[in-house]
Amino acid sequence: MSMNSFDLHNPTSLQQAIALLDPTDANNRRVRILAGGQDLLTEMKDHIVEPEVVVNLKHIPGLDTLAYDPQKGLTIGALVRVADVADNADVQKNFPALAMAAGSVASPQIRHMGTMGGNLCQRPRCWYYRNEHIVCIKKGGDRCYAATGENKYNAILGGGPSWIVHPSDTATALVALNASVTITGPKGTRTIPLEKFFILPSVNVRRENVLKPDEIVTSILVPNSPLAARSVYLKFREKSSMDWAMSAAAVALTTAGDTVKEARIVLGGVAPIPWRVPKAEAALKGKPVNAQTLEAVAEAALDGALALAQNGYKIPLTKAILRRAIQQAVA
Amino acid sequence: MALQEQPKKKKKIKVPKVINGETTLVEVEVDDTSGPVWGPKDAHTVINHPIRRVDGPAKVTGQAKYTYDVRVPGMLYGRILRSPHASAEIVSIDTSPAERMNGVKAVISYADKKQLKYEGDPVAAVAAITPEIAEDAIRAIKVTYKKLPHVVTPQQAIKPDAPRVFSGREEADLKGNLRPGETRGDKAEVEAALKTCDAVVEREFMITMQHHACLETHGIVVDYNGGPTATVYASTQGTFTIPGEAAQTLGLPNQQAVTAVVEYMGGGFGSKFGIDLPGEVACQLSKKAKAPVHLMLTRVDEFLMAGNRSGAWQKVKAGATKDGKLVAVSATQYRLGGLAEGSQAGIPYIYHAEKVYREVAALHTNQDGSRSFRAPGHPQACFPTESIMDDLAAAIGMDPVEFRKKNVSDPAYHRQLDAGAKAIGWENRNKTPGGGPGSGPNNALKRGMGCGCATWGGGGGPSCQVDVFITPDGGVVAQVGTQDLGTGSRTITAAVVADEFGLPVEAIETRIGHSTYGSANPSGGSTTTASLTPAVKDAAYNARTQFAAKLAPMLNAKPEDLIFHDGKVYAANAPDKALTWKQACAALGMAGLSARGEWKPGLSGNGVHGVHFAEVEVDTETGQVRVLKMVCVQDCGLCVNRTATESQINGGMIQGLGYALYEKTVADPFTGNMLNTTLDEYKLPGCMEMPEMIPIIDDGDERNVVIGMAEPATIPAAGAIANAVYNACGVRVTSLPITPDKILDGLAKLRKG
Repeated sequence: MSMNSFDLHNPTSLQQAIALLDPTDANNRRVRILAGGQDLLTEMKDHIVEPEVVVNLKHIPGLDTLAYDPQKGLTIGALVRVADVADNADVQKNFPALAMAAGSVASPQIRHMGTMGGNLCQRPRCWYYRNEHIVCIKKGGDRCYAATGENKYNAILGGGPSWIVHPSDTATALVALNASVTITGPKGTRTIPLEKFFILPSVNVRRENVLKPDEIVTSILVPNSPLAARSVYLKFREKSSMDWAMSAAAVALTTAGDTVKEARIVLGGVAPIPWRVPKAEAALKGKPVNAQTLEAVAEAALDGALALAQNGYKIPLTKAILRRAIQQAVA
Repeated sequence: MALQEQPKKKKKIKVPKVINGETTLVEVEVDDTSGPVWGPKDAHTVINHPIRRVDGPAKVTGQAKYTYDVRVPGMLYGRILRSPHASAEIVSIDTSPAERMNGVKAVISYADKKQLKYEGDPVAAVAAITPEIAEDAIRAIKVTYKKLPHVVTPQQAIKPDAPRVFSGREEADLKGNLRPGETRGDKAEVEAALKTCDAVVEREFMITMQHHACLETHGIVVDYNGGPTATVYASTQGTFTIPGEAAQTLGLPNQQAVTAVVEYMGGGFGSKFGIDLPGEVACQLSKKAKAPVHLMLTRVDEFLMAGNRSGAWQKVKAGATKDGKLVAVSATQYRLGGLAEGSQAGIPYIYHAEKVYREVAALHTNQDGSRSFRAPGHPQACFPTESIMDDLAAAIGMDPVEFRKKNVSDPAYHRQLDAGAKAIGWENRNKTPGGGPGSGPNNALKRGMGCGCATWGGGGGPSCQVDVFITPDGGVVAQVGTQDLGTGSRTITAAVVADEFGLPVEAIETRIGHSTYGSANPSGGSTTTASLTPAVKDAAYNARTQFAAKLAPMLNAKPEDLIFHDGKVYAANAPDKALTWKQACAALGMAGLSARGEWKPGLSGNGVHGVHFAEVEVDTETGQVRVLKMVCVQDCGLCVNRTATESQINGGMIQGLGYALYEKTVADPFTGNMLNTTLDEYKLPGCMEMPEMIPIIDDGDERNVVIGMAEPATIPAAGAIANAVYNACGVRVTSLPITPDKILDGLAKLRKG
C-alpha cells in the first residue's frame, strides 16, 4: 500500500503552521495536520483521505512538554508521546486513570510514535469507514452501513445518523479527569473543557470534535484533584495484544468513610464520543459501594442504551466493566 | 529351457500423493531390496534428540533472504488492480493514464474476463520502477464496473431466489448455489437407531473461513530479460512446482529454461503451490517489459486473493446409549469455500458409530476460493464432532475422556488421552458444566477443561533425490531441491547425515531450495519429512558404504566392521587406532566422494494420532475466554528433531487457538465487501493470548519409521477449547470463533432457563 503524493510542510512555529491550514476546507480533505502519524498515515495509505498538503507539527518547539505542577496540575503538550504519559511517575500517582488508558493504547511501538494530541483527534475505526470502496455517511455518503450491517463493534449510546464509537482510550480517561484542551487558531488561543470538545454525529456527522479546519490542539490540561488521584480506567478488548476497546469505563471518585462523595464516570467504546453518565454519577454519590449501589449505577449508566442487531452484548459487558472500575477505585 | 533373467523383486506399497495440497494415497511399485535401516530409536547420536535449527541465526539476524528481499538488476515492481466488487462486469477500462506515467514499464488488462466473481479478482496489473509508482499507476487506471448481485454469506447463498455465483455451463451440477456432493449411509436406518438411544443431541455448527495469514505474503520475483532462460525466486511450498508453470507463462520451451530458487520462505500452511496468481501476473508483466519483476501481494491483497480455509455449516444429530456407546450419527455438511469446493472430513471423525448418515455439499459464495490449509477438512469435522461427543458424555453422565475411549479402539488414542489427562490435571476438572467454584472479581472467573482428538496421514513417498558430497578436506555437503515450509528441512537433512557419520550437525552443509538440485516433493499433507529423510538416509548410507570400502584396507578391517563415531572412524575391534574425520577424508583423494540416495520403503510410515487438552478461564461477567494451559500429545513414529517437532506442536496449538477464539472473516452482506482485510481488524492471537503450552511427543509410539505430524497438531484445538468453555460456564458455543458476545448471550439464555 502506498499513499498519494502530497506537499509536506515543516513549519517551525504555530503561526506558520496555522497559516498553512485552510479555513474553507471544512472536513480537512485537502490539508491535514501530522503529529505522530499513527492514524493519519494509515488513513492515507488506505486512501481514506488523500490530502494535497500535510503540515508536520514536529518541528515546532514547545509542543512536546509534559509538566506536572501540584497547584496547576498536569500540562500535556500535543506532541507528547502516549508512552511518555503512560510511563510518567507523576501521572501514575496523581492521574492513574490516564496512565492506565495511555498504557492500554495499541502496541508499544505505536505508543512510542503516537502523540496525545493525535490520540484525541484520531478518526473512527469502523470498518465501513476504513474501507476505501464504501462511501459511508461519515465520508459524505448517504447512510451508516453499520446501522443494519456488521455492527458488533458499533455504538449502543448516542448513535445516529452514524454509529461509530470513539476510538480514543485517553479521551475517555481525560474527560473523567475533567481535563480541558487548548486550541490555537488564527484568532488566538481558546481553552475548552474536553467534554465539550467532542461532538455527536447528530451535531456534525463528518467530524468527531469542534476543531475548525484551521485550528490545532496544542495542549491538554488536567487539574489536580482528589478525584483524579483516585481514578481508574478499565478497558475490555477481545485481544490483549493490541486491540480497541469493546467497552471501557473511566471512574474518578472521592470517599468519606464508606460512602462515595464525588464521582465522575465516563464510558468508552460504546458511543461516538467519550460518554459521560451524570445519572450514574448521581446514583453513586453519597452511597456506600455495595452490590445494590453498583447495580443501580450500572443501570443508570446504560440508561437509554439501544442495541443494534449484533452489539447487544455491550450492555451487560459495559455494566460489568463499570462495576469493576468502581470497585477498583474504592479498593 | 531358455535362460531367463531373474526379475528384480518388487513390492507394491501405498504412499500419499499431494495434488494442490490435498493428499490421496496411491499405490506405487518399488524394489524390494535391503538397504539402510534406522536402527534402535535410542541409539542415535543426533536424530531423535533436540536439535537447534541450523538456519536459526540467519533468520533472526536478517541474513536469510526471503523472496520479498530479493533484488536483481533492472528489477520492476508489480502491483495488481483488484475488483472492488464481489460480483461485477467490466463495462470499460482505460489503462492509458497508467501507461503514460513515468516509470511504468508494462500494463496488462484482464478486461476480457466475462465476469469478476469476487472482491480481489484481478482487473489489471502494472510493473514500474518503484512500488509507489506501480501503486499510483493501478489507481490511475479508469474502470467502469457494472455491479451484479452477489452472495457473500451462506445465509444469502442458500436462499432459493439467491443470485447465482456460477452461471451457464458451470451451472450444470448446481442446485442454486449448492453443489451436491457425496451421500453415505441410510438415513432411515440412522433415524431408527437414534430412536433406540438413551441420549440424543442435535446441533447446528457454523465455522467461518480462516485466513492462512502467512507472515510473508504470496509472491515471486521473476528474473527474466526476454532471453532463453529465467530464474524465479518464489515464496512457495514446492520448489519443483515453479519451473514448469513459469516456463509456460513466460512462453519458454520447457521447464529446463527456468531455475527456481526457494532458499527461505515465510509460511504457507497449504496456500502456496505453483506460481499462483501473483506468479502468473509477474511472468506476464516480465514478459511484456522484458525485465525482471518483483510482485509480492500487499497485506490487503493477501486477505482477498490468497485463499482461505473453507468454512463449514453443519447440522449434526447423534445418539448414545447410557453405557457410553455412540450408536448413530447423522450429519449434513455444507463446505463454505467461496468459489472453490472447500474441504470437509466426515463426522463422527475418528470415532466409530454403528450407523452413520452423511450428506455433503459445497455452498458457493462470491468469495475467493478456499485452498488447502493445515489438515484440509479436519478441523471443520473435529470441532462439531468433539462438541457433540462432549454433549453426549454430559447427557449420560460419563467422563468425557472415558466416553471417547469407549468409542475409539486404536490403543494410540487411549494412551494419548491418558497422557494428556495427566498433563492437564484432568482429575481436578469440575464435574458439572458451569458448576465449579468462581474466583477473581465477584467470583466471575470460572475454569474448565476439555479435550479433542485428531488423525492424519503424514506418510512419505518416492520423490526426493539427495546428493551427499564429501571433500578430501573433510567437508560434507547434503544437497536436495526441497524447500523449508517450517519443517526445518535444512536441519533434518543435516541431522540424518550427521547421525550416519557420527559428526555434529554443524559439520554438514545443507543446500536446499534450488530446482537444479535433486528433485523433491512439494510440502503438502505433512509429507516432507517422511519423504525427505529416507532419501537423505539412503544417500548418507551409500556415501558411508563407499567411504568404508575405501578406508577398510587402511584400517585392516572389513568395510562393514568400520565404526563412524564422534568425529572418528575405526575398526570395531581397534578403537584405539582411529582415524580422525579429516584424516579419513584425506584418503579420498582429489575427487572426494559423492553418493545419491532416493526414498526407500521401510524408513517412513503413515498415519498419526494426536490429542489436545485445554484449560480455560471464562469471565462470566464479560464473556472473555482465556486459555490458561494447552497440552498436545502427538505421535510421529521416529522423531527426527525433537525441538522442531515440539515447535510444530506449539505452532499447531497457537494456530488452533486463533481459530477457536479470534479469527473471523467478515463479509458485508449488503455491499459484498470484505470488511476485515488488515491484521488490525482480522484478529490473530498475539503474545498476550498465549497459554502455558505443553507439547508432548508420544514416545509410546513404537513404530521406528518417520511420519509427518505438522498438520494434525492444530486439528483438535477448537474442539478442546469449546469443550473447556462448556465445562467452565455451561455455555455450548456452536460457532467459531468463540467470542465474548456469544458467551454473554449464552449465559443470558442459561439464566432464563
